Amino acid sequence: MVKNKMEMKKTIVLLIVLSLFSPAVIAPRAGGETKGGPDGKNGLSAKEVEIQELLRTIGEKVSGFKSLKTDFVQEKDLAMFKKKIVLRGRIYMQKPNRLAWHVDKPVKYSVVITDKAIRQWDEDTNQVQELSLSKNPIFKNVVNQLSVWFSGEYGALMADNTVSVLQQHPLIIEFVPNEKNIARKMIRSITITFRDDEKYLKKIKIHEMSGDTTTLDFSNTLLDAPVENSFFEVRRV
Amino acid sequence: MFDRYFDLLSGFMKGNRKFVLVGVIFLTLAAVAGLLFVQYDGNVDMMLPPDRDIDRSMSFLRDSNLSDKIVVSLSLTSEEAGKKDLFNAVDQLAASLSPPLFGKVTTGFSVANVMDGFFLNYAPQILTEKDLTAIDLRINTASVSEKLKRIYIQSLKPESVFMTPMFRADPLGINFLLMDKLKALPASMGYDVAVEDGHFISSDGRHAMMIIQTPVKMTDAPNSKRLLTALYEKLGSLPGYVSADVVSGHRHTVSNETVIKRDIRLLSIMVSIVFLLLFFAVFRDMRVVFVYIIPLLAVILAINISWFFAGKLSYLVIGFGTAIAGISVDYGLMVYVSSRKGVDPSRTLKLAKLLCVDAITSVFGFYVLYFSKIHGYHQLALFSILCIVISLFFALFILPQTLQWKKYPEIKPQGIVDRFERNPWLRNLSIGLWAVLTLAAIVLSFNVRIESDIKQLDGSGPEVVNAEKNFHAVWGGNTGQAIFVVTGKTFEEAMKTNDAIFQRVAEVAATDRFLSLSMFWSSEETRRKNVDNWNNFWRQGREARLRGLIKSESPKHDFSKDAFSPFFDNLFKVADFSSADNEFMANVKERFVQQRPEGCRILSFFPDEKEFVKTMSDLSRVHPGTFVVSGRALSESISSFTSREAKFLVPLAILFNIVLTYIFFRNIKETVIALIPVLTGMVWLAGLMSFFGFPLNVVNIVAAIITSGVIVDYGIGRTYDYRNNLTMGTAFVVSLSAATNIIGAGALLFAKHPAFFSTGLAMVICMSSGYLSAMFVVPSFCSMLSTRKRQGGDA
Repeated sequence: MVKNKMEMKKTIVLLIVLSLFSPAVIAPRAGGETKGGPDGKNGLSAKEVEIQELLRTIGEKVSGFKSLKTDFVQEKDLAMFKKKIVLRGRIYMQKPNRLAWHVDKPVKYSVVITDKAIRQWDEDTNQVQELSLSKNPIFKNVVNQLSVWFSGEYGALMADNTVSVLQQHPLIIEFVPNEKNIARKMIRSITITFRDDEKYLKKIKIHEMSGDTTTLDFSNTLLDAPVENSFFEVRRV
Repeated sequence: MFDRYFDLLSGFMKGNRKFVLVGVIFLTLAAVAGLLFVQYDGNVDMMLPPDRDIDRSMSFLRDSNLSDKIVVSLSLTSEEAGKKDLFNAVDQLAASLSPPLFGKVTTGFSVANVMDGFFLNYAPQILTEKDLTAIDLRINTASVSEKLKRIYIQSLKPESVFMTPMFRADPLGINFLLMDKLKALPASMGYDVAVEDGHFISSDGRHAMMIIQTPVKMTDAPNSKRLLTALYEKLGSLPGYVSADVVSGHRHTVSNETVIKRDIRLLSIMVSIVFLLLFFAVFRDMRVVFVYIIPLLAVILAINISWFFAGKLSYLVIGFGTAIAGISVDYGLMVYVSSRKGVDPSRTLKLAKLLCVDAITSVFGFYVLYFSKIHGYHQLALFSILCIVISLFFALFILPQTLQWKKYPEIKPQGIVDRFERNPWLRNLSIGLWAVLTLAAIVLSFNVRIESDIKQLDGSGPEVVNAEKNFHAVWGGNTGQAIFVVTGKTFEEAMKTNDAIFQRVAEVAATDRFLSLSMFWSSEETRRKNVDNWNNFWRQGREARLRGLIKSESPKHDFSKDAFSPFFDNLFKVADFSSADNEFMANVKERFVQQRPEGCRILSFFPDEKEFVKTMSDLSRVHPGTFVVSGRALSESISSFTSREAKFLVPLAILFNIVLTYIFFRNIKETVIALIPVLTGMVWLAGLMSFFGFPLNVVNIVAAIITSGVIVDYGIGRTYDYRNNLTMGTAFVVSLSAATNIIGAGALLFAKHPAFFSTGLAMVICMSSGYLSAMFVVPSFCSMLSTRKRQGGDA
């Protein structure tokens, strides 16, 4: 029963995340705000072409790595809690399909996603929960969408977001869900700050419609550093 | 009177021999030319009984868009290709399918509507008393504490960014109850299907599904062919790593027609060759070709005349042509044999009478089909009767004009049958053996299986069957779905009945197997009741209790005092009872609701299993305006209708045979003896079918009825021959006649179409057993009962 509920929760989460970023789910791929300017190539305005080109260039820079190790601090300023929640942890990524998200504080929690399965563990239940990707194909899509953030293939987001460059040095790009994007009911904007060398992200900030914000700061980021199999172990006791 | 008119007509033909023969040649050429204009029909509707339930189910399937859909299963054939490649191929294929042949193409459905608050907004309307009981169980310290802890832990997870509003609006996880109801949506398709990236995908992630609507009716063979050709052309553009299996009723229609046409071509050639070889081997005379031409010409003329009177001709009817040719070639053969023996005019007249009686019995065998309510049988009867009448006419009046010998060549009489007549020991042995075998057949016949599944008579080729096998291996759904249809003048009226049915099903069967719109959307009346229940539920102290529990448990995880205010703020929100015409409901309605000019239909889906169908049929009887559409039930209704008709038609056919035989002999003893082949044929058919494990079905029962009119001729011929001592080789002619009959019907055993095979098998068994009894039992009885007249007597 509990397991079923957990799976149901996962499914809801996945449905939502999928809805946020999957163009196929949200609306037809073609069209949208990013089209329109008659003077640009392929129907895009000159500004949109410029941003598209920028995203492509950034994508090329960011997506060049094969493996990634980074620490993160996630700060959640949520109306639901009296105080800000600060999470500290590590992210490991090995292309093409291995991602580990370990939270060390305030509670230990890990999720490891491969191309075959998703394994989760938290110290509260001390149970490893494995979800089959074949039975949860939607979760697989979430992984793909998370990969967009972490791997830098931002071009795919243009169809469903209004993209603007807030600052050039360091580069800060803002994604505002457009009217085709069902996430706009919940997300006001997502801002991505790049490192000075523009080879990886420095910060992701999500502004929700409710006023809640979540900030993810990356530090000690190493690209193409050797990653050990133990990084992708989910149980930590 | 017969004698006078026969003499007159024979004399006229003989006197105008040249003109008659030229006329026949012109008639033949005109008939062949006419074939170019004849229209054929591959539609099986005319072979279906006009039963109320069957009519309603068929018209439902015709009018609904359910049967006129094509389902395509696209599979990855290369390990190197992934889902993204598969989805790209699906999207490209979907985009390439355009009107007029293709309508809406569904490659998946959007789950995004879960996000727009549809379910949470409508929760008070959707949740039932049972759901409220489940919620009530969650309003306690332990449960609330656990829920808050899980929300806190969930908040730490990567995906939590998008979950917070939902946590705040739903601390008890009520949404999960609603999500359970959503499961019915993909399940209502009857397949094991998941949705990923907006696409239908199999559980192994290697196959995608596409549902194509088309305005082309499944029963429309020519347009089905055009539709499939266009689809295959599009499928030809798929990348090399994607293969496709097409599942559709249109494929069955086209494949059946192809198989039938192939069978008709093959069987016609086969029967022609065998007839000619047999005739040449027996008679060693080129003029016997005229005997072969008679049924051929009769079939061609009958096709033209039948088309003129009955309109489009069913391919299934034409498929029986070889069997009918085998029957109608007899008359020419008998005339040919008697001509070669040089019989005198009085015996020629007797022969003509015998042939007419033979033809009348055969005609009545087919005429009985006019008493059936099935339109296709009427067409079969018309076509067959025309073949027989034309063949008889040509045999009696045209064929003699082509047969003239200076010296009549001798045909050696049969020896063995004469020995049976003369030798009392052999005579008794033949009667005894026949009696034992017939008794055994009667005993065996009690266990004969009646096949009620008309799908067994589907002649679709292996490519169609294999595609469906592959499809079901991937997507399940092999048992098929039955549909419970509720009708109403308005959507609301239909929904009220739908709700009532759903509640009844919950009491008597498993609702998890009965996929109804009422699972997640009810009539406005029910939804209003649900809202009242919801409000009462929370006003009876539960709201205060939950607030208190949350307040006492929140500090453990540092929740703010307003953490769950969105939930409490919306608890008694004024309900919007509009029909929620958003995208989600549009998708749902497409599956469950049909708007018709006469009102609204709401469909529910359940497994097409005998017990379930019976339960639902019983429910339907007490709810006017509802009915069940089940492939299994439809098949059984057709079978049951045909069985009921057979119980009327078989005795009628036998009665016709008895009356005609009695009129011919005017003697009870000879009538009974002459009917022995009919009795033997029917009883041995049931016995042998049981012995070999073949079932009786809707087509071979009809075949038996038809054959009774043929095999009675064997008995009449042999009894008449014995009575009058005709010495014109009746035994030989009956043998040859049976041989041609069996060849004509036996050719059907080489048909690929199961309906033809089944017909051929029944006819061959009836004819063979009828022939054996006519040759070895009838003369023995005649001899034993001394039915021979003294020389000089008359019939």
